Formats: sequence, structure tokens, C-alpha cells
Amino acid sequence: MTDALTLTNLTKVFKTPAVNGLNLSVRQGELYALLGPNGAGKTTTLRMVAGLLKPDSGSIRVFGIDALADPIGAKRIIAWAPDEPMLYDRLTPMEYLEFVAGLWNVEPKAARERAESLLKLLGLWESRSQRCEGFSRGMKQKAALAGAFIHEPRLLILDEPLTGLDAAVARQVKDLLQSRVQAGATVILTTHILEVAERMADRIGIIQNGRLLAEGTLDELRKLGGARQETLEDVFLDLTSAGDAVTA
Amino acid sequence: MMGAPGSAPWLLGWELRLAWRGLVAKRAGRGFAAWASFVVFAAIMLALGVPLGRFLSEIDAVDSPPFVVVTAAGAAMVFLLMLSQALAAAADTLYERGDLDLLFSSPVSPRKALAVKFLSVALNLFLSFGAFAGAMLVSAAFIAGFRWLGAIGLMAAIALAATGAGLVLAIGLFRIIGPRKTRTAAQIASALIGAAIFVAIQARMILGGGHGGPWRELWAAAAAGRLHPPAFAALPLRAMQGDLAALSALLGGAIVIYLGASLWLGERFVGDAAAAKGADVVTRPSRDEDVRFTAGAFAALVRKELRLLLRDAALLSQVFLRILYLIPVAILLTRAARQGEAVAIPGAAAGVVFLAGQVAGSLAWITISAEEAPDLLAAAPTRASTIMRGKLTAALTPLAVLMVGPLALVTFMWPRVGFVTTLGAAAAAASSSLINIWHQKPGRRGEFRTRRGSTWYAMWAEASVCGLIAMATALGAMGVIWALPPAFMAGGILLLLRRNERQIGEMLRAT
Repeated sequence: MTDALTLTNLTKVFKTPAVNGLNLSVRQGELYALLGPNGAGKTTTLRMVAGLLKPDSGSIRVFGIDALADPIGAKRIIAWAPDEPMLYDRLTPMEYLEFVAGLWNVEPKAARERAESLLKLLGLWESRSQRCEGFSRGMKQKAALAGAFIHEPRLLILDEPLTGLDAAVARQVKDLLQSRVQAGATVILTTHILEVAERMADRIGIIQNGRLLAEGTLDELRKLGGARQETLEDVFLDLTSAGDAVTA
Repeated sequence: MMGAPGSAPWLLGWELRLAWRGLVAKRAGRGFAAWASFVVFAAIMLALGVPLGRFLSEIDAVDSPPFVVVTAAGAAMVFLLMLSQALAAAADTLYERGDLDLLFSSPVSPRKALAVKFLSVALNLFLSFGAFAGAMLVSAAFIAGFRWLGAIGLMAAIALAATGAGLVLAIGLFRIIGPRKTRTAAQIASALIGAAIFVAIQARMILGGGHGGPWRELWAAAAAGRLHPPAFAALPLRAMQGDLAALSALLGGAIVIYLGASLWLGERFVGDAAAAKGADVVTRPSRDEDVRFTAGAFAALVRKELRLLLRDAALLSQVFLRILYLIPVAILLTRAARQGEAVAIPGAAAGVVFLAGQVAGSLAWITISAEEAPDLLAAAPTRASTIMRGKLTAALTPLAVLMVGPLALVTFMWPRVGFVTTLGAAAAAASSSLINIWHQKPGRRGEFRTRRGSTWYAMWAEASVCGLIAMATALGAMGVIWALPPAFMAGGILLLLRRNERQIGEMLRAT
């Protein structure tokens, strides 16, 4: 079966290499957590996959589509949700979804049905006609997520989706993500909350200095570190401090 | 950093340091050319000071009634302009807050913190007006005598008084119409003050009396003894000439207004600033039936952009004000036609074309460069050309709606002039829009007036191309072949500025 995402020798250099020959594969229907310390290259990687940044070299294949040769084709099946919600303050959630559905050319009847269902699912139905400018951060994040789901993407890319959310909203978002994975979608997310990755992810990748340090299920990662690795935090800190030592 | 930590001079030092870094960063972002343009501007102002100095050295201004009247009127106009800026700055301070939370949570007295904050507003006003007049005054003073440097002190007094008055107005608005509407109202009021000054200056022309402009009219009226200004009206002129008593009186009065406002209202401002942060946004909810899901990015983009434009009261007020500036042109056009003045009609047609280009450029900037969610559009499976078409359609629709009536009327009255003006307006609008596409640079909607982020040469090119097309329109309306050279020059500049999709993409990625 074709992988949902394959990155081969992906490189992006700003002043220093942000992503440095990254090789990564994400299987279809899995929830993949990409972890790494600040500045590891997570966001740069995801922005390249979403078509927002052009890599200096390497390739990106999304469900077999060469995302660099056919960016429009790849974007049709991708959704990108950054930590800062991509919203318009003066639009209502319903109008926002109308706009996003138009951008992805979703059939109007299906778009309206999905919009209603997503807004109800995320607890925004009552606020559907209020402008987003008065929303809390959690409400904004939920409206943006509804926008990411409106075209039923096969690959969802989320950069720190739980940042700044309270426990109840975070639970709603996690439930939504898991329901999408169960429905067959593939999810890649970055997070600094290691418990989220520990509980939700099928596989975890740890990157540092733009390179993949380790990858696997939680058990596989634990084995990498030996007997004293109890939690993902232990494994993460052990691997990234070793990575630092190598860099130094 | 001067002064003890926590003292007013210490706080002011920080304010100035941050303001200076902001200014340097802005200039650095625009490159060497921006500094060069600043130097050229200063040189021009220094040069303009020479004839002014000669004029001042040849007259006895001390007790000249015309001078008294014109100087007092000028000072009042500068005060109103500064007041409009101060009002907007006070409202912005309430909402943008910046470091207000940090200051209010520190052991520094809130009154002191606010007094310093507003002192920096006054300083900013003084410097921004001083940038225009300062260099000119210095060179004029070299010729006419250094006593004229008193004008700088007069400007400082006006800045302080305007800041105090702006603070009072902002608090008053806050109390009358509530926290959320204050900012928009302040922005609109600020723009209206500017427009009112413009209309007042044009009033004589609009009403059809006199040809010399308001300053000359004032001068003549005062010289003929028709005006009897009160004694205090002489203070600005005396202060300008370095009369220490007058200067002290004006500065003292300004300090009283400024300190009175900031100390008396400081406590209320602290409370209002807190209320502004916590205030709920109450907007009229939209109806479900207004949401129409339709397939296709173009339609979705046009609808989204039009919604955003129509919901931005501050932006709309700015656009309508520019249209307001057309009123004197329209009146001139009508009057000229009635009186059979052949030259005024092409001139007015040129004015219409130039303004159409400027309004189109502003709306194109809002829709293209001030996009709030550029990543959403970049991540969408939509071609850049479709996005641009949608945005331009939305940007030009309000302009078309506003222009169609007047242009139809002109065409009905003078078919050739109407046709040429329509053609010119369309060309100017299209040119401004294209320049904004080719040289787009991310900005924020709130920066509409200054279009911060635009490259200086793009703004210059936009004005030049609109000016050339306006010139071509005027000559075309007169029916002369000389309309072609400026039209070709505008086309040439457009060709030089042209960028393809790849170049635009590279430029955006670089920013």
C-alpha cells in the first residue's frame, strides 16, 4: 500500500540548515507524532509538505503524488492547521467554512452538511453567526480545525494543535482527530505535550537539527533506550541530549 | 538610561529607545534607498527655507495684522491635524495596549506610566510635524534671524495641547459610545478632521467666491481691516518670533492642558484600558441564509473579500473620505462648464482619474497585501492567478459602484470628456492594481492609511503612473495628440515593474 507521506532527503536551508536530508514515511491511516526540541525543524518540515515552503532539495510524495511537481493535486487531499488559527476576524465560523469549502471546491450541498455537522461536533453551532473576532483562543482553534476538515482531507497536518487550549477543548480536538483516523484519514501532528503523543500516536518520530533521530511505536522507542526508559519523556530527553552531544 | 529606575525620565528613556528602534527597523527594512529619500527630502525642505527666510527678513511681522491672522489660523490648523493624530493614538493605546499590562502590573504609579506614554505621543507628533517643518525653519532662521526658531517651540506647545485634548476626546468617546466602538469612531473622527480641513481650504472655491485660496483671502481681509482678532490671537506669531513671554504663555498653557488631562483622566484611562481588554465583541450576527456555499474558489474569494471590506468601518471611512475629496473637483467641473472655462474640465477629469487610481491601489493593497490568512490561501489547491482575479474583482467592485454614476453623468454632458475619463479611470485603476500584485508585501489591514510594508518604489511608481495617466486623460479630453506621450510613459513604467508569478512567489517567500 502506498504511504500517505514519503519524504526523501528533504533539505531546507535558511541561514543554517533547518531540515537536513530528512527521510520519513507515514503510513496510511495512522496518527504520526513528530516530536523534537524547539528549532528542530518540525514546523519547517510540515510547511514544506503543506506547500507553503519550497524545499532546497529532496522530494515529497503525498499518497504517491509528487507534491513538488503537482502541488495543486497534493493540496487537494491535504489539510494544514498551524498553531495560530488561520481565520478572518470579521467572518463568522459559517462564512469561514463557506470560504474554505469554496477554495477546496467542495460540492455546495456536501459542504453545508459538513459545516453544520462539524460546528455541532465542535460545540460552535450556537456561535455560528457571530464574528470570530470575539472568540476565545479555543473557539478560534476549533473554527480553524473545522475549516481543515471541511474537504475531508486524506492527510491532516497539524502543528501544535493543542497549544493554548483548555482541557475540555483539548479533549474535543483529540476525540475529533481519533475519529478521523478511525475513518481512514492520516494525521501528522507536532506537539510539545509528550503525553498526547504517548496516548494518541500510532508511531512517533523524533527529529533534531533537521534530521530524524528515531522513529517507531512507543514500545520500539523504549527499547532503543534500554531498561531505564519508562516514559516517552525519558526516551525523548535521552535521545535529544545524545543528539546535542553529537552536534557539539 | 537617564533617571532612577521607575522614574518618569527613565520610563521616557525606554519609550524613546523603543520608538527609535522601531523607526530604524522600518527604515532598514526598506533599504538604503529609504534613507537616501529621507536625506533628499530634508535637503528639499532646507532649500524651501531659503525663500521663506528671505520673505521673513523683508517684512516687519511683529504687529502685522495679516500676519497675526494667518499665523493664528495656521496654528489652529496644525492643532487640529495633531489632534486627529493624538485621538487615534490614544484610542490605539487603549486597544493595542502594547506594554500597558506590564506597566500597570509593576509598582510604577499608573498615572506616571500614562503621563510618560502620552508624552511620547506628544513627542511623536512634534517630531512627525517637525520633520516637515524643522529643516525649513532652520534654514529660514539662518537668513531671517534665529528668533524665528521660536516656531519650533510653538510646535512643541501645539503638540502637547493636542495630545491632552486627544486624550480627553478618547475618554469622552469611550464613555459615550462604549469601549468597542471607540477605536473605530476615533479613526473615523481623525480622518474627518483631516477632511474638514481640506474642505475648509477648498470652501471658497466650492462656493464660487474668490480665486486666491483661503490664506490669501484671510491675508487680504486682515490687511483691509475687515477682521478683528482677539488679543491672544497674536500669541502664536509672537512665539514664532522668539518672544519669550508669548512662548512661555503658550508652552505653559499647553503643559497645563497636557498634565491636567493625563493626571485628571489618568485614573479613568487605566480603568477604561482594562475594560477595553475585557469587553466582549458584540457584532450584529449574520443570518444563516446569507451563507451560500458555492463550488469554486473565485466566487468564494470575491464574497469573502467584499464581506471583509464592507465590515471594516475604519477602512470604509477612509475610502469615502477620498471620494469626498472629489466633491470640490466635481463642483469645479460643473462651474467651469457653466462659465465656459475650457481648461478646467480636463483638469477636473485628470483629478478624477488620479483619485480612481489611488482608491483602486488602496483597495488592491487591502485585498492582496493585507490578507489575514495567507497560509490558508497558499495551502489551498487554487491557482495563484485565480486568487488574484478574485481579489481584484472584489477590490475594484466598490470603486466601480462609486464611479459609475459620476462618469455616466459626465459622459451624458460631455461625451468625449466622459469617454476619455472613463478610459483613464479604468487604466489608472488597472495599473494601480497590477503594481500592487507585482509588488505585494504582507501587511496588516490596520496599516491601510500608510500601507506599511509596501516598497517605496512601488508606491512612487503607483503615484507616477496614475499621474501620467491623469495627464494623458486631461490632454485627451482637450483632444490633443500630446495625450500619447504620457500614456506611453505610464505603459513603459508598468513594463519595467512587471513581475511574473515565479518572481512574485520568490519575493513573498523571501519576506
